[in-house]
Amino acid sequence: MVGLTLVALPVFLLGWLIVYPILSAVLETVFPAGENGARALSLASYRFFFSDPYSLANLQVTLWTTLVCGVLLILVGLPIALYLRFSQGRFAAYVQAMAIFPMFVPSIILSYALIRTIGPNGTVDLILNALGLPKLPTPYLTPWGPVIGLVWDNLPLTVLMLTAGLGQISNASVEAARDVGAGPFRVFLAVILPRMANSLLVTASFAVLGIFSAFTLPYVLGPAAPEMMGPFMDRTFSDNNDPLNALTQAVISFGFCLVFGLFYVRSIARNQEGRP
Amino acid sequence: MARLTIKGVSKSFGTGFAVNDVSLDVEDGELVCLLGPSGSGKSTLLRMIGGFERPSAGEILIDAKDVTRLPPERRPTGMVFQSHALWTHWNVFDNIAFGLRLRRRPRAEIRERVEQALAMVGLADYGQRMTTQLSGGQQQRVALARSLVLEPKILLLDEPFASLDQHLRERLREEVKDIQSRLGITTLFVTHGQDEALALADRIVVMRDGVMEQVAPPDVIYRAPRTEFVASFIGSMNFIRVTVEEGIGRHEDLTLPVPVADGPAVLGIRPEALSLTPSERPRAGRVHRSIDFGTHKLVDIDLLDGTRMKAMMPPETQVPRGLRVELGVSAFHVFRDGAQVYQAGARGSETERRVSHA
Repeated sequence: MVGLTLVALPVFLLGWLIVYPILSAVLETVFPAGENGARALSLASYRFFFSDPYSLANLQVTLWTTLVCGVLLILVGLPIALYLRFSQGRFAAYVQAMAIFPMFVPSIILSYALIRTIGPNGTVDLILNALGLPKLPTPYLTPWGPVIGLVWDNLPLTVLMLTAGLGQISNASVEAARDVGAGPFRVFLAVILPRMANSLLVTASFAVLGIFSAFTLPYVLGPAAPEMMGPFMDRTFSDNNDPLNALTQAVISFGFCLVFGLFYVRSIARNQEGRP
Repeated sequence: MARLTIKGVSKSFGTGFAVNDVSLDVEDGELVCLLGPSGSGKSTLLRMIGGFERPSAGEILIDAKDVTRLPPERRPTGMVFQSHALWTHWNVFDNIAFGLRLRRRPRAEIRERVEQALAMVGLADYGQRMTTQLSGGQQQRVALARSLVLEPKILLLDEPFASLDQHLRERLREEVKDIQSRLGITTLFVTHGQDEALALADRIVVMRDGVMEQVAPPDVIYRAPRTEFVASFIGSMNFIRVTVEEGIGRHEDLTLPVPVADGPAVLGIRPEALSLTPSERPRAGRVHRSIDFGTHKLVDIDLLDGTRMKAMMPPETQVPRGLRVELGVSAFHVFRDGAQVYQAGARGSETERRVSHA
């Protein structure tokens, strides 16, 4: 009874703020209100989304950004996490502090900081100019702008989760592998990687969920067209005053996130089963 | 089969030394136990031999080849860890086969050698089991097989039975001793259990605060400890403070011939070297309790100055609580400033008991 009381409030909030809006959005898009206010089954808004080249381009750029960010986050975060896991001393503490720092920077501040850094006439341009080097094409207002921002923004969580996953691998099991003749790379491939597959999956799921539904960074740093789903939904709702299509975009976005979420849930369930 | 030479090896962490100027020769096929309390540097020394710690000074040679700067994967050593350190994502066979696969041995040879190793540790049919399905003792056997299958020149065991219960520990250490004798493999065994060291070792290295206190065969360590620390760490030892005057060590309950310079000294007496006789003397020691171990009785005696002595008696001895007793001593050690300065009473030669009356 005490347990149920403890979970009652979170379950209520989950139902009220998450489950109800989802069901409501699905129902409103599948049974849209007609001109006379009557509701009838219609998949017209979905048909429009999947036949509209602009909507599809937005979905495509969102998936591309998510995939590229996910890969980059693992590629950047894993070496940092490995270093933090197997290193000691003051320098490792500094690296950890630097890796976690972006967590404390609001997205909007980060966005404008990146504009001043990698944008036109930003710090990078100024340095290149001072060195007598030619200008580089700026990633600002290209799909790479949000990618850089989102990787920077999601790196702390990725590093923290990967470090936690690596924490489950004992020093002794790594040393035992070296003892039987495995070099560092082989230890990573044969001992570390298989045993952190789960945490990689969970990390990737978390990162992907956050990136797919990102708003501020793609809005400020990304191109006007095609745009990621977050800004696209906002513009459809506010600028175009088209709540039905905005809701449809939201349901489709939720559908994709649900697939990534299922990876996470499956991984958690497998962890629970594996416990003695 | 190999000879291990450690020359002046030290390891410092910050300002302190975990291991300080240790030199040791381990002969071909010898089993040497590194024994000492926590923090004595025994595991650090073993890890330096295995290549997991880099010495701050000194050299480590295996068969006269300097391996001091080689990483673990390039040393001809095999280590068994206290925590088993098995790879839980593989089954028993794959755990043992990993080292052979790294050496690119043919598949048939790998199968044959893994099966031989499993048979050697008594787990012939366990190859396909996951390591998480094994008991602690079985896991430690797999860890041992994983090291042995590679036929290392030096086998290093870092408190391998510490997490096992007493019965299993005793059984496994006998098995390890048998396997080690059969293969004739040079072995270093770290333990903080004196019974383990006494049962297994050809020689024991007693360590304290990063230095070697004594290196000797188990019987010598037990019967001729060079320092007060070794005497107290190996087996049970009664210590009693005496004052030496003109070659006689005096205590209210004991007077013994101690041919050393005058001054305070500490007598070390093993429980089996003490005998008890009933006494009418009012200031004589009093029996506090008697514990029957089946093979013998251990009797605690409280002396008037607060010293508690332990005496090992035959199991049939009746010593009721509160009984006043006089102490007899058949052998003893004399320590001054922590070092032994005199030893008396070889086995069987009873030192005359003299009781001092106030």
